[in-house]
This record gives sequence, structure tokens and C-alpha cells, in this order.
Amino acid sequence: MRRLDEKLIPVLLSTPVAVLILCLLWIVVSIGGEGIQALNWSLLTSSVLEGGIFESMVGTLYMLGGAVALATPLGVATAVYLVEYAAESRLNHLIIQAVNNLAGVPSIIFGLFGYAFFCRFLGLGVSLLSGWLTLVCMILPIIVSGSVEAISMVPTSFREAALALGAPKWRVVKDVVLPAAAPGLATSVILGVGRVAGETAAILFTSSVYLMRGLPSTVLEPVMTLTYHLFVLLVATPGGMTGKPFAMALLLLGLVVSLNVLAYIIRVYYRRRW
Amino acid sequence: MDPKIEVRELNVWYGNHHVLKDLSIKIPERRVLAIIGPSGCGKSTLLMTLNRMIELVEGARVEGRCLLDGVDIYNPGIPLTELRRRVGMVFQKPNPLPKSIYENVAYGPKVHGVKDRRKLDEIVENCLKVVGLWDEVKDRLNKSAFELSVGQQQRLCIARALAVKPEVLLMDEPCSALDPMNTRIIEKLICSLGRELTVVVVTHNIQQAARVSDFTAFIYLGRLVEYGPTDRLFESPVNRLTRDYISGEFG
Amino acid sequence: MEETLKSFDFLKSLRRMDWVKLILMTIASLSIVIVLLIALFTISESIPAFSSLGLDLLLGDRWAPYYGRYGAAPLVYGSLIVVFGAVLIAVPLGVLSAISLAEYMPRKLGEVVKPMIELLAAIPSIIYGFLGMVFIAPAITKLFGISLGRTALTGSIVLSMMITPTIVSISSEVISSVPREYRMAAIALGATKWQVIRGVVIPTALPGIAASILLAFGRAVGETVAVLMSCGCVAKIPSPPWNLLDPVHTLTAAIALDMGEVAMGSMHYHVLFGLGVILFVITFSVNTAAWLLMRRAPRRLIKV
Ligand SMILES: Nc1ncnc2c1ncn2[C@@H]1O[C@H](COP(=O)(O)OP(=O)(O)OP(=O)(O)O)[C@@H](O)[C@H]1O
Ligand SMILES: [Mg+2]
Repeated sequence: MRRLDEKLIPVLLSTPVAVLILCLLWIVVSIGGEGIQALNWSLLTSSVLEGGIFESMVGTLYMLGGAVALATPLGVATAVYLVEYAAESRLNHLIIQAVNNLAGVPSIIFGLFGYAFFCRFLGLGVSLLSGWLTLVCMILPIIVSGSVEAISMVPTSFREAALALGAPKWRVVKDVVLPAAAPGLATSVILGVGRVAGETAAILFTSSVYLMRGLPSTVLEPVMTLTYHLFVLLVATPGGMTGKPFAMALLLLGLVVSLNVLAYIIRVYYRRRW
Repeated sequence: MDPKIEVRELNVWYGNHHVLKDLSIKIPERRVLAIIGPSGCGKSTLLMTLNRMIELVEGARVEGRCLLDGVDIYNPGIPLTELRRRVGMVFQKPNPLPKSIYENVAYGPKVHGVKDRRKLDEIVENCLKVVGLWDEVKDRLNKSAFELSVGQQQRLCIARALAVKPEVLLMDEPCSALDPMNTRIIEKLICSLGRELTVVVVTHNIQQAARVSDFTAFIYLGRLVEYGPTDRLFESPVNRLTRDYISGEFG
Repeated sequence: MEETLKSFDFLKSLRRMDWVKLILMTIASLSIVIVLLIALFTISESIPAFSSLGLDLLLGDRWAPYYGRYGAAPLVYGSLIVVFGAVLIAVPLGVLSAISLAEYMPRKLGEVVKPMIELLAAIPSIIYGFLGMVFIAPAITKLFGISLGRTALTGSIVLSMMITPTIVSISSEVISSVPREYRMAAIALGATKWQVIRGVVIPTALPGIAASILLAFGRAVGETVAVLMSCGCVAKIPSPPWNLLDPVHTLTAAIALDMGEVAMGSMHYHVLFGLGVILFVITFSVNTAAWLLMRRAPRRLIKV
């Protein structure tokens, strides 16, 4: 009985793990199988008006670029403040609480808020800029918590060494702490990028349109994105189930998976350097 | 001669823990002062109050006066960065910055405004020569400082501290993590540095104190028990506690 | 002379230091501002709906916005049933996987397997929606012989894949952080590994595991696109109510579908924000409960 216990249970318990791994493989194979056939150069480079996905692909990159460029300095600065400047203050506590709350807000609520605040109240309309700002709110907690972790891992002795030389605090942060935390910061930013790349609900009514001619020329114009275009294609266009949607899904999947793998590699490679 | 540093009735607390009690001491210029005493008596704390690194410790409170060249370093008008440039520190565990060997030494001067590359090269070379590291590392100045052995790292840290031309050098058990060879090198270095600047070195090794220092202070339970020229203190300690400690009866 | 120079220097450095800190503090406070703004704008846009519909918005059993009927009960029910279904699948799958990962799997293997499972959570919801629509819904049609494959069950299956990683990753961490001494006592009494896990490890880790389930629940309630694409979007309480093979509609899906088409400032518009408030209340309470539970976990896992 006892032997059976010890032998059988590990096997039984590894079944659910196998199920989950199979899910992952199934997703990759079922999207990838058809997607790879539909994916070709002309699809990527021709305009949506000719049946391509050029605008939504570049639009997704616009979305990513802007949101991350805005959110990274804000998130890292918040983390620096929390770890380096505001030990155990009341404000520190409030900020942590706020970040935790933000992390739990569903993306559709970011969409509602973005529409009410950025598009309407600030008068930015349905635009690239509104989308960026909405996404910044959404990925801020990801970048903050990743950065806080990265910065807290920097050994105190580095800070002491620089401070003892007479370096002012801000220089210690800039010259020593941030470079030492760089891999961790990069990981958190990459995860933020991954989140933005696949986001649909938050940009549904803040920045995306299904169809537009060309790319936005100012930040106040709306933009096409892979996720939104795919969404409308699937929800509103009956019979659009072969070819193009698979190719778009594969692109998204490839992007998100490679970003996560990259983040993983950085994390493993730089683990415990000192 | 005026003392370089004069500590008057210094009291330090960590929270409610009273660590240094009414400690007064005059530290002479261009001499080596060794601070000895059993573990936990407050040696490191005393060092940290001398360049205000103690302010990094949460809950630490300092009362009393610490005069550097007659000016109280706890005076709110004192620029902290300049104070720490003048009063350098070497830590017990070598703590090179995660930068190249060159950058480790050049970092201090850079922070204090030296921009000229040639000037920096010169400082780096001189300081590495002083600590006897130049010949060992001159071909790999751009390699990470972590590639050095622990002993070399500690000498690098000393070079880094010297690069900002301090007037006082505080060393907290600088040899405790090192092998005998590096220990010997650093002891020699301390002796020669003592002619150029004021060195305060904390050590657990009584022989080391005798070898390197001109003056020795014995601290026990946060109080200065005995203080005097090293020869005198080791040959004829006045206090019984000092005698017991030096003869290794406790500690 | 030197003294004045020094104090000038000091003032300069003081000003610079405070400046840096001030800027950082301002930026850091932005998170608080964002949270307040979200609350403010979502709530204020919903006030017209709550003030004219009152509790009917929450309890009314008919959701037909284009006929002026704004009862959110079918949506709330739809959200809950889909999520309960998902949690029902995810809990055994997730908790057992977590035990396996933390207790039985060789370290090296676990370091590869866990990130792979976590990858499931990173895959965009639109892809899950796509899968639900294209693969799972037809399979459900065939399997149960029903005409429409987009049902509550379809939504649950899709969601369960998305939320299981949350349970696995948090629970396995909680389980591995159960102190060794706790196990030692039981091992010394001659218990088998499984007995130790069942008798000591799981009970100790239980608050953390519960927290992970709540967090997964919160994530599932807020999930939009994947659910929208797979649950059928019919705003009716199934009959019987536990029938998972009927299509349902959810809070998030209703917001996402209708928002693009409502007239600005119409009652429908305000009602959608009202749904947002309801959704926010649900996720906020679930997340808060999770954090409270997490505090009781063996080690403090609260990040940030
Ligand atoms: N950060 C701190 N918080 C609270 N108490 C502390 C802290 N650092 C040191 N202490 C306490 O203050 C006392 C003096 O510490 P200190 O480090 O100055 O001793 P020390 O003489 O350097 O000892 P050692 O020879 O072991 O380095 C000790 O009792 C120690 O426990
Ligand atoms: Mg000490």
C-alpha cells in the first residue's frame, strides 16, 4: 500500500501538468498550422484595402512603441522612489496600494476609463494618443512591480561604496543602482510590451478602428491594430475563419511568445550575478 | 598639534539600543589610529559616525559632536558629499562597484567633477600603484572588478577610496576576509598611508594593531576604556580590562 | 570665505537633491492619481444610470438595451456562471499541478515547465477567443449534439486555460515556501511523502492557495474578449439556471460589444459605465480578499 502510494502519486499528479503543457502545444499547433500557410510576404506588406495586414501590423508597433516609451520612465521612476527614497513612509504605502489595485483592474475598465477621461474629458478623441495613455495606466503596475523587485535585488554594498566616495544619492541611483538592475528592468519592460501587444479590450474604444486608409500621421488620429482588426474580423464577419485571421493570430502569438521567452532568458542568464 | 578629528561626548543609539556612550577621543593628524575591542562594542558604529554613513542606518540617532579640523560634521551646513570625499571609507567585505577596474577607481574623481580623460588615467594609474595593483591589472583595466581575487578587490577598494584624495581614511577590519599575503600587503600600505593622511583602522587582530598603528584605542561596551600611543598601551596598559583584552583573556 | 563657499555649495546640492526626490515623488504619486481618476470617471459616468434606474439596474432580469430595458441580472449571472465553470476546471488542474511542481518534479524540469505554464497566461485573450470560436465551440456542438456551440461551457473552458497558470504559479510558490521544520516533524513520525503533503503542507499553504484561486477568479471575471467570442452573448439566464450548455452574456462582453455603438450621453451609455462599476466592485472585493488571505501565507509573497 505504502509503496504504491509513493509510486503512483507522482505519476497521477503529473497528469494535470501534462494537460497544461498539451494545452500550450495545442494552441501553438492549431494556430501555427494554418497560420504559417496563410502567412506570406505580400500579406504582410500589402495594404488592408488589398487584403493585406500592413497597417494593422505597423499600427500595433506604433501602439507598443508609444505606450512603452511613456510607461517605462514613469514605472522605473516610481520604483526608484519606492525603493531608494521613501522607505516605509505613509505615501509609500499608499503608492504600493494603488499599484496593487491598478494591477487588478480588468482591462475593459481601463477601456471605459480611457474613453471617458482621455477621449472625452481631455478631448483627445479616439486616437493613438488616447490609446497610449490608456495602456500606460494598464502596464504601469507591471513595470513598477518588476522594477521594484529588480532594484531591491541590487546589493546594499554597491550603494554604500558609492555613497562613501561622496557621490550624491541621485548619482548613486543613476550610475550604480539602475545599471545593476538593468536586466530586471528590461524584463519588466518586455513583459509590459507583451501585455500591450496582445491587448484588445483597453483599446477597443479608445484608439482603434477597423479600417482606415494608411497609417495615422498625427497622434490624434486613430490607428489599426492586429488585435482589434482580428477581433472585428472574427466577431462581425461571418465566414472569415480561414487564412488571414490565422496569419494574424500567429503573428500575435509569435510576438507575445518570443517576448516572454526573451524575458525568461534574461532572467535566467542574469540570475544572481553577485 | 590640533587633532584632525575630535569626538566629544558622542552617544549613538540604534532605536533604543544605546551603543556608544559618552565617547570622546582626539584623533591626531597623519597618524594611524587602531581601534580595538570585543565584538559588538561599537567599533564599526564609531567609524560610521565619522563620515555620517550612520545616517543610512534606519533608526540610528547620534548625539554629541564630531569635529573635523574644528568644524562639526553634523552641522547642517556641511555638504555631505564633500565630507565623504574628505573622509574616505574601506569596508570589511571588499565591495567593488559592478563596473570595470578602471571605472571603479575613476568613479570617485568623476563624481567630484574630474572630466579630463588624461587626468583620470593618471589618477587611476597612481592609485593602483599605491596599492600595488598596477602591475597585476594594467593589461585588463576594462575587465569587471569581480574578476579579481578577494584580496585584489580589497586593494582596489582602497585605491578607489584614495582616488578622491581623502584627508582621513576609515578602514573597518579591512583584512578580515583576506589571505596572509594580501593582509601583509595591506598592513604595509596602512603604515605608509599613515604618513600622508589620517588613518583609522578597526581590527580584531591585536598583533595587527601593534604592527600598523601609532595610537590605539580600546573600546568596551560602547565606552572608550583606554587610549594612547600603541607602544605604551601594549607594554603597560593601565586598565585591567585593556590588559585582559590584549593578553587574550576575553574577546 | 571658504565657509561661505561651502554653504553655497551645500544649498546648491540641497536644492538639487530635493528636486530629484520631488520629481520622483510626483511621478510615483501618479499611480494614486490614476486609481482615483478611474474611480471618479467610471462612477461619475454611471451616476445617471444608477439614479434613474436604481436597483433595477442590478436586479432587473431583462437586458435589452435597444428596447430601453437595462436589467443587468442576466449579465451578472452570466459572468458568474462562466467564471464558476472555469474555476471548477481550473482549481483541480491548477492545485494538483502546483503540488506536482513544488513537491515532486525535479528542480531542473520544474524550471522549464513552470514558465511554460505561465506562458499560457501571457497569450493574448483574442487568441483564446479565436480558439474558442473556431475549435472549441464546434467540438461542443458535436459532443453534446446542440445547435449552438458558443455556450457558458465554451466560455468556461476557454477561461480555465487562461486562469490556471495564476493558480499554478502562486500556489506552487506558496507550497514550496512551507518551512522545512513543519515537514520534519511529520517525517520523523514516519509519514510518507504524500501523507506529509496532505497532512502538513497543504493545510499550511491553504490560505495562499485560496488566495491564488481568488486572484484567478478576479482575473476571469474581468476577462473580456475571449469570453465575448465564446460564450454566445445571449442575455438570458439559462434554464435551468445551472445549464452550462446555454449561451450567456457577461458584463464585460456587454460593455465591449455595445460601447462602440451607443449614442454619447444616452442612458445606454451611462448604463455601460454602471456595468463597469458593478464589475469593478466584484473584482475589487475578490482581489482585496485575496490579498488579505495572502498575508496569512507562510512566507510573505506580497510583491511590490
Ligand atoms: N543596524 C543596526 N541596528 C541595530 N543594532 C545594531 C545595528 N548595527 C549594529 N547594532 C548593534 O550595535 C552594537 C555595536 O555594533 P557594531 O557593529 O558597531 O560593533 P563592532 O564593534 O563593529 O562589532 P564587530 O567587531 O562584530 O564588527 C552591537 O550590539 C550591534 O548588535
Ligand atoms: Mg564591526
